[in-house]
Amino acid sequence: MPAMATNEATDGELIVRAGDGDRGAFEVLYRRYARPVFGLALRRLGDRGRAEDAVQETFASVWRAARSYKPERGPGGPWLYAVARNAIIDRSRARSEPAVEAPDQESHEAGPADRAETSWTAWRVHRALEELSVNERSVIELAYWGGLSQSEVAEYLGIPLGTVKTRTRAALARMAGLLEGELE
Amino acid sequence: MTREPDFRELVGEDLSPEERARLERVHELLIEAGPPPELTPALAEPDTAEPEMPIQLPRRRAGAMLALAATIALLALVGGFLVGRKGEGFPTARSFPMHPTGLAQNASATLDLGKLDQNGNWPLRIVVKGLKPLPHGYYEMWLTKHGKPVASCGTFAVGTGESKVRLNAPYNLGRYDGWVVTREVPHTAGHPVVLST
Repeated sequence: MPAMATNEATDGELIVRAGDGDRGAFEVLYRRYARPVFGLALRRLGDRGRAEDAVQETFASVWRAARSYKPERGPGGPWLYAVARNAIIDRSRARSEPAVEAPDQESHEAGPADRAETSWTAWRVHRALEELSVNERSVIELAYWGGLSQSEVAEYLGIPLGTVKTRTRAALARMAGLLEGELE
Repeated sequence: MTREPDFRELVGEDLSPEERARLERVHELLIEAGPPPELTPALAEPDTAEPEMPIQLPRRRAGAMLALAATIALLALVGGFLVGRKGEGFPTARSFPMHPTGLAQNASATLDLGKLDQNGNWPLRIVVKGLKPLPHGYYEMWLTKHGKPVASCGTFAVGTGESKVRLNAPYNLGRYDGWVVTREVPHTAGHPVVLST
């Protein structure tokens, strides 16, 4: 299978190929999803070492279970999310239980449903980011998480302000298309 | 916590209401999602080396015995040898030679590995001679995976004659297959390897 065709394949197609033992397809899946899986694991486990292990386990599970994926049941992204979530839950359960139960008290943290929704949102957004070109992703990351204004992004990257604005708008439009299509 | 970007500054004013709403939804999702993490060196590449099990599953917290076993396995792979040297202010547990590439034919080095500390650091010391001093650059020690430098163990400079430099590897060594030293010069591409185990 030519590399270009593999890179342009949908997640579902790549999972099917991985199920047939196609390592190239598996590696493309890894590049698309390693950061989203790591982000999800970090969010849930709060520890980089355990999150690393969860990523390794997730992709081992993907390789082992890819044959069980049925494209007619839905796109590949949610299937991968479920595999990752299970691997992370397993890793979470492996943590030793606290010796003393914490006293009941009102919690101001988000509940399980809210946390699940936030995790799913982050997963989809981080996955969509992986589809952007390096130029587009740079302007998005600097603007949203680098704390830079558009002028500062232009100065930082050494490109005209107009180019920053064009790339930013193009990146947002591309992400909108990807997120509406649910990254099939 | 960084400030949230101003959506109007990002996209400008010349958008249809429909397109503006569409992009603003992405803007909100980006803020809600927060930044994706950078992959650690160990996760930079998928490990598909084993035919039966495509990804190795090292257990970084499987205890000191497993860490020791992984280290011994690594040393066996790279041809290390036990010397048990002491003195010179560095508690060497194991040493192994580093060999020059064509880019530094007259260089030679020994890499000394200390004992893993309780925080997960492997102390290193490189004793090197024959490398050219780099007035506008430096050398960098890396752990490799499939021969590629993937995890930096620090940078150093050399003088004429023999140089001894202490470095550190805060990684699970069982995930890597060797060490290399690269020559790093600003504004040049790649990591040219000058020494390898």
